[in-house]
Amino acid sequence: MLAVSGLRKSFGGRTVLDGFDLRVEAGEFVALLGPNGSGKSTALRCAAGLETPDGGSVEVRGSAAMVFQKIHLVGRRTALDNVCSGALGRLPLHRSLFYPQDVREEAVRCLDRVGLADRALERCARLSGGQQQRVAIARALCQRANVILADEPVSALDPQAAVQVMELLVDLAAEGMAVVAVLHQPELAQRYAHRIVEMRTAVAV
Amino acid sequence: MTITVPRRRWPSATAWVVTAVVVVVHVLAWQATEFSPAALVAGWEGMADFLSESLPPDLSVLGKSLEAAVITLYIGLLGTTFSIPFALVLALLASRATTSAVWGRQAARAVLSFLRSVPDVVFALIFVTAVGLGPFAGVLALVFHNTGVMGKLWAEAMDESDRGPREALRVAGASGPQIALHAVLPTVLPSLAGLLLYRLDVNVRSSLVLGLVGAGGIGFLINQSIKLFRFDEMVTHILVVLVLVVVVDQASAFVRKRLGA
Repeated sequence: MLAVSGLRKSFGGRTVLDGFDLRVEAGEFVALLGPNGSGKSTALRCAAGLETPDGGSVEVRGSAAMVFQKIHLVGRRTALDNVCSGALGRLPLHRSLFYPQDVREEAVRCLDRVGLADRALERCARLSGGQQQRVAIARALCQRANVILADEPVSALDPQAAVQVMELLVDLAAEGMAVVAVLHQPELAQRYAHRIVEMRTAVAV
Repeated sequence: MTITVPRRRWPSATAWVVTAVVVVVHVLAWQATEFSPAALVAGWEGMADFLSESLPPDLSVLGKSLEAAVITLYIGLLGTTFSIPFALVLALLASRATTSAVWGRQAARAVLSFLRSVPDVVFALIFVTAVGLGPFAGVLALVFHNTGVMGKLWAEAMDESDRGPREALRVAGASGPQIALHAVLPTVLPSLAGLLLYRLDVNVRSSLVLGLVGAGGIGFLINQSIKLFRFDEMVTHILVVLVLVVVVDQASAFVRKRLGA
């Protein structure tokens, strides 16, 4: 589902990634662990297309969605609107001024999948951190993503909310998605991930 | 235990030079503007005459004055409202958050700078030659100048918006205009509305000055009463202006506070 090979990236002469490989199959949950600066986030951002790698290749079958530590929803808009925005990639501009009814219906189903259908019309800023992260995952579902790239999805959450989000990600993997999560807590990785990839600091050139 | 007290440091050479330059510039400015407290003291009688003629205010023109004040308010209102679409398009083109092409941003910024650097009074004089004396010329002048100012303020507000939601939508495959519509604008809307009200406040005050160059409203009446040496009428107009400015200022401050912007 996701194949990254020979990824290289440096920022201002500092090599962050030097030949990073990763294959994730459908139905698999892979955790990326490693110290700060080992390029975990950069690897995900390259896979998502937010950074252009200096070398190497990224192949995604279908589409990849990203889930962030800081969640990155539009706090002033409703959960429903935020989930709908996942569908923008397949909407022409003239249909995206107001979300069409079929997209809204799909978005409600996505919210229902993460257990928040009853909060659809609430502004995101009013939801708890854990709820917001689940809305962000619903946005990924509404994008019809096959791959979820999660960059420290639970680092900002309290333990209970973290467990909820982790279990949701595991369930989505079980339903056939490929999930890659950068994690800071090894115990969460050991408990939930099918496979753990340890990243080391790239050797400075 | 001995504690070493740092020695007092004297201002550096740079500080002395900067001080000297600032002083010299002020002396030059003093001379160039013919600044002379003596002239002010010597001419106090002129001012006293002026004031004695202007008091008490002639309240018989109050009705006319209020009507003209409403026109002034309307000029400021339309000048602000009609600049919204232009300011919005140019701000979206000028902001890093919404336009990635450097040449596009620079072109939009150049247009905004031009509109901003031409004073509204100059625009008014230009439009008076096209549409004649009257409030319409004032509205056009404000639309042009305010597009420049508000477009820049709006672009800056967009620049400062959180890039996170933009990135999330980019990963989802949204296009630039879609990101502007669904990530940038919803985030910055309260700031844009706050800046709009602030500009309305400024524009109502500007439209007063535009009246002095023939764009109608209460500024026109003030100009007229000065030309006719009817200073008692002028004071009435100025009192009405005072009330108008305070009311608009307070109303806009109130709404901005409610918006939290």
